[in-house]
Amino acid sequence: MEAETDSLTEQETAVYDRQIRVWGVEAQKRLSKSRVLVVGITGVVAEVCKNIVLAGIGKLTLLDDKPLSEEAVASNFLIPFFSTEDEGCCSIASICAEALRDFNPMVHVFVEEGNVIEKPGSFFDDYDAVIVGRSSLGLRKHVNLMCRNRSRRVAFYTVDCRGSSGAVFVDLQKYAYSSQKGNAEIWQEKHFPNLEEALSVPWSSISKKTSKLFFAMRIIEEFEQCEGRVPGQISCEDLPALMALRKKMCESQAVGDSMVPESVLKRLADAGNAELPPVCAIIGGILGQEVVKAMSCKGEPLKNHFFFTASDGKGVIEDISPSQ
Amino acid sequence: MEELQGRWHDLDRLLLRPGNLVGPGFEPCAELRDLLQNDCKVLVIGAGGLGCELLKDLALSGFGNIDVIDMDTIDVSNLNRQFLFRIHDVGKPKAQVAADRIMQRVKGVMVTAHFCRIEEKDVDFYRQFQIIMLGLDSLEARSYINSVVCSFLEYEPDGGLDYSTIKPMVDGGTEGFKGHARVILPGVTPCFQCTLWLFPPQITFPLCTLAETPRSPAHCIEYVHLIQWGQDRVGEKFDSDSPEHMKWIFEQAVKRATQFCISGVTYSLTQGVVKNIIPAIASTNAIVSAVCALEALKIATMCSKGMDNYMMYVGTQGVYTHTVSYEKDPNCIMCSPGVPIEVDCSCTLQECIDTLLNDQRFKAKLSRPSVSFQGTNLYMQAPPILEELTRPNLRLSLLSLMGGNPSGGVLNINDKKLHGVLRVRVSFSKEMDTT
Repeated sequence: MEAETDSLTEQETAVYDRQIRVWGVEAQKRLSKSRVLVVGITGVVAEVCKNIVLAGIGKLTLLDDKPLSEEAVASNFLIPFFSTEDEGCCSIASICAEALRDFNPMVHVFVEEGNVIEKPGSFFDDYDAVIVGRSSLGLRKHVNLMCRNRSRRVAFYTVDCRGSSGAVFVDLQKYAYSSQKGNAEIWQEKHFPNLEEALSVPWSSISKKTSKLFFAMRIIEEFEQCEGRVPGQISCEDLPALMALRKKMCESQAVGDSMVPESVLKRLADAGNAELPPVCAIIGGILGQEVVKAMSCKGEPLKNHFFFTASDGKGVIEDISPSQ
Repeated sequence: MEELQGRWHDLDRLLLRPGNLVGPGFEPCAELRDLLQNDCKVLVIGAGGLGCELLKDLALSGFGNIDVIDMDTIDVSNLNRQFLFRIHDVGKPKAQVAADRIMQRVKGVMVTAHFCRIEEKDVDFYRQFQIIMLGLDSLEARSYINSVVCSFLEYEPDGGLDYSTIKPMVDGGTEGFKGHARVILPGVTPCFQCTLWLFPPQITFPLCTLAETPRSPAHCIEYVHLIQWGQDRVGEKFDSDSPEHMKWIFEQAVKRATQFCISGVTYSLTQGVVKNIIPAIASTNAIVSAVCALEALKIATMCSKGMDNYMMYVGTQGVYTHTVSYEKDPNCIMCSPGVPIEVDCSCTLQECIDTLLNDQRFKAKLSRPSVSFQGTNLYMQAPPILEELTRPNLRLSLLSLMGGNPSGGVLNINDKKLHGVLRVRVSFSKEMDTT
């Protein structure tokens, strides 16, 4: 994605003035040419969309056929309150698209229909980045592989917020970027593992100081898959089963149960499919900025997981990659 | 919701609303939601980059009564992050447009807008809120609110704090990729005054550099702005919103830069230097505001351990946050139980006032101070009838006016120049006057 020599329009220069002072005109130009696909819209995903639309990406495509429901609206600022007659009338994607176009008319916002699993590989050629929201591990792995099979790199992100915690995963494949070192701009490279590789790292080789959320989310993921649950469809009643699964998984990974404190699992179970709005905003802000960095090829990217928990206010980056 | 933990145990006496205090055995979900929806009044100061995000986060989190105050109108350069505004809103008051948009989007929230300066509201306006959120861009504004909120504190004669008079503030600030969020519980955690040293000094260039030896494009711009304008455009007041004025500054700055072989003067830089433009992006504001909103939620519901007490965020290289527990200044002129001063046993009230007026710590903040002690007015500068009534006290011994207690006590000083109250802890020096 090369920056072309044509300049920003007068409106772009006026509206983006304050951010051009942060990352420069060239980065803004690259941003304005970028195309992002978003699959699955929850509260945190809505926040990411807001941030990248305000930043002025070129094109945003939303893919989520789920119909409007009171649940979906609770932590999604893009959807205005509506009466129960409207429930089910249109898709979450179309309502969000309308709101986002309003935030920044200079960004082209589209709605794509259908199931992402059924899209051919060529579908992903139209995008520079794909963000996948709450979904099954199978879907995330599938989309990740599709992104990697294209001739041009397609950046891949996943994000999920559960109650007062959340996580981001980043796969930029082999990624070259510029960053500031004092007064000089230098070019560097980072290599990212794909999702399958990252999640296959044996737990016994991962530092004990790593965020417990990583392991807890793997257990929740496994549970949801085995029980045939829609992701997020868990509750405190599932805690005993989750604890049993924890024991099983920790054993097979040759680590102690203490890798995954009960309190962390309980908090996630209690959360169910709810998202705390300020937590969505924090994680949405972090991921939004990651996408801006990757689309402008400027700034050190986060590698490769980010975790946040409101209870201790800690946001941490964890590099969970297979050792070379 | 998790139970109240740790450091904030002593604040469980904090009254969030007048009258009923929610008891310890309550059913968390329903009553907490009611409390947020109906009983907790929150003030958001600023409807800009942080303000818009704060309003969204608070409204979505269940706060039902929010007031927002901002003296500005919407500018096109706001649109890259102040997402409650549209291009056709340019020129309209930020507070009003923000309030309307939030109410359109979130069911049941009442947002009241105030289009005015914060100084235009009297102290009782601020007293009605349980939590004050700050989305400001200046030190002066923060200092003002800080002094108002600190003036609400009531201390017992022994220095003990009446916790019900604490009004929590949550403050956020951002610039580019950097930002901070902090929780201020006046009297408990440091207030702004306690940590004034945290704010970097404003950049001002020495006049000799500007005049004789400029080295950077900013030097050239500031020379034209501060010196050359006054010389070449005599009598004309410089207006940074005037395109003609800015163009003039820019062109003259280019000429000067060329003269000194300095490159880099652009129109954009000229605007930046003259208007003191702070670079800003949506994501930093989103993160910092949300951290602040989370703290408001914790303060209102006591659902979790609060931030203790200052978090900084740096997003330039990866993501970095660090939380520090700053301590308050025990002699802070704003929030402490009393700034210590020492006077002679024979000191009169007038002499005490003179001592205050000459003290480096507060002389800039006082002009005609009024003095009270434990609720009794010792000397009032106004109205004239009270002044006349209390004037004889000036000649009396301070020690006797303070109940004859040789260990001293706390005087409350009020002054037109002060936005709050200055508490002074008087101690009497041991030497007795021989007469």
